[in-house]
Parts: sequence; structure tokens; C-alpha cells
Amino acid sequence: MPLNIKIALAGEGGQGVQSVAEILTEAAYRAGHQALYIPNFGVEQRGGVSVAFVQVSEQPVSAPKFTTGDIVVALSYRAVERVKQYTGAATTLVYDASLEEEVREVYGDQPRKLAVPALEIAQKEMHPRVFNVIILGVLVGLTGFLKQQEVKEALERQFGHKFARDPSLRDLNYRALERGYQLGSRRGAK
Amino acid sequence: MAAKPIEGEQRAFMTGNEVVAWAALAAGADIMYGYPITPQNEIMHYWTRMAPRYDRGFLQTEDEISAGFTTVGGVLAGKRAFTATAGPGNVLMQEAMSMAEMMRLPTVVVVTQRGGPSTATVIYSQQELNLTCFGGNGEGLRIVYSTSSHQDLFNYTIKAFNTAWKYRFPTFVLGDGYQSKMREPVTIYDPATRGIVMEECRPMVGLPGIAGIDREPAHLRNTYNLEDELYDRLTASIKDYQAMIPEVVEWEACAVDDDEILVIAHGVVSRAARAAVDSLREAGIKAGYFRPITLRPFPEEALQPLAARAQRILVVESAHGQLERQVRASLYGLETPVSGYLRPGMGITPEEIIGAVQQTLRS
Repeated sequence: MPLNIKIALAGEGGQGVQSVAEILTEAAYRAGHQALYIPNFGVEQRGGVSVAFVQVSEQPVSAPKFTTGDIVVALSYRAVERVKQYTGAATTLVYDASLEEEVREVYGDQPRKLAVPALEIAQKEMHPRVFNVIILGVLVGLTGFLKQQEVKEALERQFGHKFARDPSLRDLNYRALERGYQLGSRRGAK
Repeated sequence: MAAKPIEGEQRAFMTGNEVVAWAALAAGADIMYGYPITPQNEIMHYWTRMAPRYDRGFLQTEDEISAGFTTVGGVLAGKRAFTATAGPGNVLMQEAMSMAEMMRLPTVVVVTQRGGPSTATVIYSQQELNLTCFGGNGEGLRIVYSTSSHQDLFNYTIKAFNTAWKYRFPTFVLGDGYQSKMREPVTIYDPATRGIVMEECRPMVGLPGIAGIDREPAHLRNTYNLEDELYDRLTASIKDYQAMIPEVVEWEACAVDDDEILVIAHGVVSRAARAAVDSLREAGIKAGYFRPITLRPFPEEALQPLAARAQRILVVESAHGQLERQVRASLYGLETPVSGYLRPGMGITPEEIIGAVQQTLRS
């Protein structure tokens, strides 16, 4: 089946949702796919639920937003409720494992779900700042349209100036990506 | 002399606001005047970052009234000048754009529509169609290009400068907040590599010689004493405008040979309309697609035969009937029933349009 994937991501401002979308679409574009990314934005400078709409396809993408996502990602308590409108029966709901209760409450028995302990991994094993890179890895693993190397190059373009100052950040980001990738691809293969 | 901003052609993945800044640079714009407003801000940000490298100017004014009038001033001085705004800023700019209409000044304004009326949302709408086409206290002697993609934003920003300077009517690129903020692939290029020659910009004030002796006076007036004087001036402008229409009017259409229902949309919504029509055709429903690219002048002559052939017309827009009103006015006398899927300030997806078409065909 030709590639045509729609992903909606939502989290609190500052969780890095928009960066994930930007890196994912930038990498997809560089890998030769058609890609479109649009953030939602309001009058507030910070706070509020941040939502990103991502589409990757073989054909040029039509409308910037969509009715139902193939993958919907909720990374905060408020985001769980906020993204309900973009989910359908065929949608895979990806969420942080800490939100299990809210997800059960709002989605009941949504057939396709993937709980990812990204927050816990980031806090205990890595660094809170790579939480979103774990999520990025999950999406790369789950969707399978990008090679890890292509994502690493996109990370380099996004954070290269930070890596230059502190090379250990590169390793940290790569580990986060790899860890997320494992979590996502295990599910994607099923 | 500074190097060309773009050598040859380049593929890029960027936001629409960035595309506009690159297009203005590539078109050889001399100066941008502006006042910040979302979702237009990054046009200014990118312009101010890049302009000094290519000896271009920027002036941040105290408000949009001033940004409009300084653009008028830049143009009078013979500069390829532009500004960009949205929503309430577009409202304030109408004063200056009316003056540009009166005095036949080739101003270029990029509008990134946001929700209205008033402050409303900073996000998106198609509610600035009326304002951009007819916002002045005059006859709407303007050219308005409605873009649907980053490629359009690039192409039509360049084209706007040439249309403005060739025909001497204020020219607008009507985008929206979605196009401003989204990222998608685009090819940016040096206009010369596509055979595009930029119209020459000449000053209208400070000309050499003594007016009335060495040369005709410039007579740049926005004030007239007598009704007859104004009438003569406007009649001449209206005649010029009408003569220009066949040369600048643009539209696109597809699947209109045997369509039972013609879907009409402009701007970013036309992408969803096109996708919906493709899907409907695959499902065996005879849907057609029409997109006005110039909203002013409106492509009436192109639309009329297509509308006459169709059995139904569905106008789809992120406003409450601003496009539908233009369509109805163009088709006066035709009996094809017209209905609208009207979502003021809301984005529209292909799925919604498919649903609206099916509902229209059932009714």
C-alpha cells in the first residue's frame, strides 16, 4: 500500500511536541517523501495544549489538517481529552503510560492502544529533556517509513548547535531515539 | 552589488511565511514596511534577518495605518515596496490601500487571513475576502491572488510585484494562517531562470526638470474639487481595469466535462476540494472542481459555462458566504442551484467536503 500516514500529536506546551513533528516531517521530506506539518497555536505564549498535525505521503498532501489520524499521540492529562476528536476505530492511540487511567476513562475500549513509559524512562534512565525524542523514536518504529539514520541526521540539523557545545547530548539523544524505536517497532511488527 | 538571494532553483521544506520572505527577496523587493501581527510575523522576521545581506530595507512602523502609508510612500519613490498583515491589521491598512487605488500606486500587500471579526483568532480563516477585494471607499480596483500552497505563495508573491507595476493597481497576495505556519516542500528559484523579467520600478515624485516647463506635471492626486474631475479620473481607471481583466484573471478547473455537481473553493480549501473531487470520482460520483485564483477580478467568464453545464453548485469556504456571494453575482441569471458548505474560521478537510457533496446530491 502506498505510504499515506496522518499523525496528530498533543502535549503540554514545552513537552516538545512541535519539535517531534518538525523533525519527523523534515526527515520524511529529506528521505524523498511528501510531507506536511502544521502546528496549532493560540494567542497564549505558553501553557495550553499544543497540537501538531503531521502527514507523510507519496502524493502531495491535500488539506493541512485532517478529520481522523492513523496515529494519535497524547502526552499529557489534558491532551488525552483534547485529541479524542481525531481518533476513530482504526486509529492507534499512543500515550504515556502514566496516563493509563485517563485513557481508560476517555477512550474505554479503544481497540488499538500503545502505552509508552517515556516519562519514566526519561526521568530514571536518561534525562527529562529527551522525553520527546523517545516519543519520536516510538513513532519512527511504529510507522517504519524512516531509517534511524535519516532521523539522526534530522536531529543533527535541529540540535547540531547544542551537540557541538556538549557532545554527550548527541549520545543521549541517540539512546533516547533507539529506546523509543524499540518500543515502537515491537508494536509495529505485530 | 550583493549576490542573488537564490541561485538557480532550490528545493526546500519551510513555512509559508519563510517562503514569502524568500519570494520578495527573489523578486528584488527593495523594502518591506511592517507592523507585527500573527500569523504574519515571521514574514517580517525572516525578511529582517535576510534583507541586510542583500542591501534591502526594512522599516517597522507604529501601526498598520502607518505601514500601509509608508508602503505607498516607498512606491511613490520608485521602490519595489511591500507590506504584510492580517485581520485587524488588514482593516487598518484599507485607508492607505484606498489611496493607492485612487492614485494608481503599485503597492503589494501579503495578507495572512486569521479569524474575524475583530481580534477573533490568530489561527486561520477565509474571512478577509470581502475586505481584501473591496475594503476601500471605492470600486475595488485591485488585484487579489488567492494562494493554496507554498509553491503558489512563492510564484504569486513574485507575480504580484509585476502585476502591480505593470497595471498600477494595488495588488494583494491572499494567504492564510495555515499557509503561513505549515511546512511543506517548495521549489524556490531566481525568477530570471524561468524567464521572468521584473517590471521596472520608476519614481513618481522628485522627477527631474520643472513641472509644466520641462515635463508634464505628475498630478498625483487623491483629492478632487469637482464631481466631474473625479468621475473622469475614475472612468479612466475603471476602463483600464476592465481592459486588464483578460490579461490577469486566473483560475483552475478539473473533471468539469460531465459533472453533476461543481465544487467551488479558493485558497487552501481548494486543496481539500480537489482531493474530495478525486475521491468522489473514484467512487463513481460525477463531481467537478473549480478554483478562482484571482478573486478580484473574479473569473466570471470561465465559470459561467461550467456552472451552466453542472446540475448543482457547492461553494466551500472557511467564511460564511464571502466566496458564495461572488459566485452568485457571477452567475446571475443562471438557474443552477447554488448551496454552500460554510465554516467561518474553521479548517475544512476532504472528508467533510465529500460528506457535504453527498448531502447536497441527496437533497
